Amino acid sequence: MVETIRVNLKVNGKQYVLDIPPDERLIDTLRYRLGFTSIKEGCGRGECGSCIVLVNGLPRHSCLTLTATLDGAEILTVEGLAPEGKLHAIQVAFLETRGVQCGFCTPAFMLLTKALLDKTLDPSDEEIKQWLASAICRCGSYHYYFKAVRKAAEYLKKGKILFDEKEVRKNLYKLPLLR
Amino acid sequence: MKPLAGGTELLLLIRDRRIPTPKYLLDLNAIRKELSYVKLEEDKVRIGAATTLYELSQSILHKDKRYAGFVDVFYGFATMAMRFYATIGGNILSATQYNDYLTLLTVYEPELVLVSKQGERRLTLEQLVLDKRKLAIRPDELLKEIIISVPPENTSSSFMKFDRRRILIAGVVTGAVLLTLNDNVIEDVKISFDMIREKRVPGRARKTEEFLQGKELSEEVVEEAAEEILPSEMERMSDWWTTGEYRLDMSKVVLKRNIFRAARRIRGEK
Ligand SMILES: Cc1cc2nc3c(=O)[nH]c(=O)nc-3n(C[C@H](O)[C@H](O)[C@H](O)COP(=O)(O)OP(=O)(O)OC[C@H]3O[C@@H](n4cnc5c(N)ncnc54)[C@H](O)[C@@H]3O)c2cc1C
Ligand code: FES
Ligand code: FES
Repeated sequence: MVETIRVNLKVNGKQYVLDIPPDERLIDTLRYRLGFTSIKEGCGRGECGSCIVLVNGLPRHSCLTLTATLDGAEILTVEGLAPEGKLHAIQVAFLETRGVQCGFCTPAFMLLTKALLDKTLDPSDEEIKQWLASAICRCGSYHYYFKAVRKAAEYLKKGKILFDEKEVRKNLYKLPLLR
Repeated sequence: MKPLAGGTELLLLIRDRRIPTPKYLLDLNAIRKELSYVKLEEDKVRIGAATTLYELSQSILHKDKRYAGFVDVFYGFATMAMRFYATIGGNILSATQYNDYLTLLTVYEPELVLVSKQGERRLTLEQLVLDKRKLAIRPDELLKEIIISVPPENTSSSFMKFDRRRILIAGVVTGAVLLTLNDNVIEDVKISFDMIREKRVPGRARKTEEFLQGKELSEEVVEEAAEEILPSEMERMSDWWTTGEYRLDMSKVVLKRNIFRAARRIRGEK
């Protein structure tokens, strides 16, 4: 077996040159080599979707991907959605719909939302369901997440992409509960 | 050595130690661009082996009613996220009764183009897929292309998968039908199921096809095909998931619904 394979990866906008054992999974590279711990391992076999990241803009299970096959790829995790002190419209929408319960699944759902809204800001109900069904939420936040997708689309349509984190947090408590 | 396409089958087989860990994986990513396409050429549709299911969904296969079964398979396949990188070639070569594109393609009687340093050879699905995970492909060969003939105008297909949930299922019964109608006469019909008997890979219900061929399409004829003819050529297994009896019953239901859905699609009805 080859000892390591050199891989050029762009993760959240930053370029990395990594020497990776050929059998290393993307989830392990991201979590343990690079420290992006938003990605979670649930099942390790493509079923739960907790490990979904975006590879070249499309959802991908990082538990079923070998890093060595990704030379030249661009990867996005939620850590890369907005710079320090800012929140992305998708994060704001997820906060405001108060869908997040334990939060284990939330990064995957946000990234699914990102990839869907990159394709269209007017997804049909059925499309939203198809996409969100890629991940499992143990706490049952699906209906909140569904609303969050619509809300994020509204912000993005108005050109509102980045929000000031402090402002968002301050106003969060004044918002009525969504039903 | 094993070629690695989407990896959604191969990496799990390795992980679960269902196959000996291959010494080498051959990453097909480097040639993925050349191997992913859906091209309509005169009377043939050519599908590159490394075409992802999402790419299939963006092609003619999801726009023309003659390939409607592809839409059915797509929306029942794993989850949306997986459809972006699982490939059609990987589906065929996984070679189990749970491979939905394999079940569907069985009714389209495709030609499969294999390449190696020695050149190309062409096989039918039956010549390529011998039994569960038993293939006629040599270790030095790659699957390059899947070729299907453009069906006649008054043709459509339908695919159905039954299990206890709607998605993320292997399907305790799956089946496909490719139907050509002339007015209301069954000019041609091809029927496949995840299993017919013995071989644990998708197969054709040929007796049932023969029975239906040339007959006027009606409730009675389809009822007789499903209740009388199909059981005479089908032997269903019982396993941990369900009984053979239930599988046979559901196979009849799948057959009936597939035929009538394909017929509605031919007529442009919902
Ligand atoms: C959670 C989950 C859900 C699933 N749901 C479904 C489902 O609903 N329906 C279904 O049909 N399947 C399903 N599958 C099975 C699997 O995803 C499919 O069979 C998929 O199409 C395999 O494609 P792949 O590109 O990932 O194949 P890989 O895993 O990359 O390859 C599969 C096999 O084919 C070989 N191979 C691949 N391409 C080539 C080539 N061009 N030439 C030579 N050999 C090649 C590989 O060496 C390997 O032996 C599911 C899998 C998972 C993990
Ligand atoms: S951990 Fe990857 S899908 Fe569950
Ligand atoms: S919020 Fe807990 S798993 Fe989804």
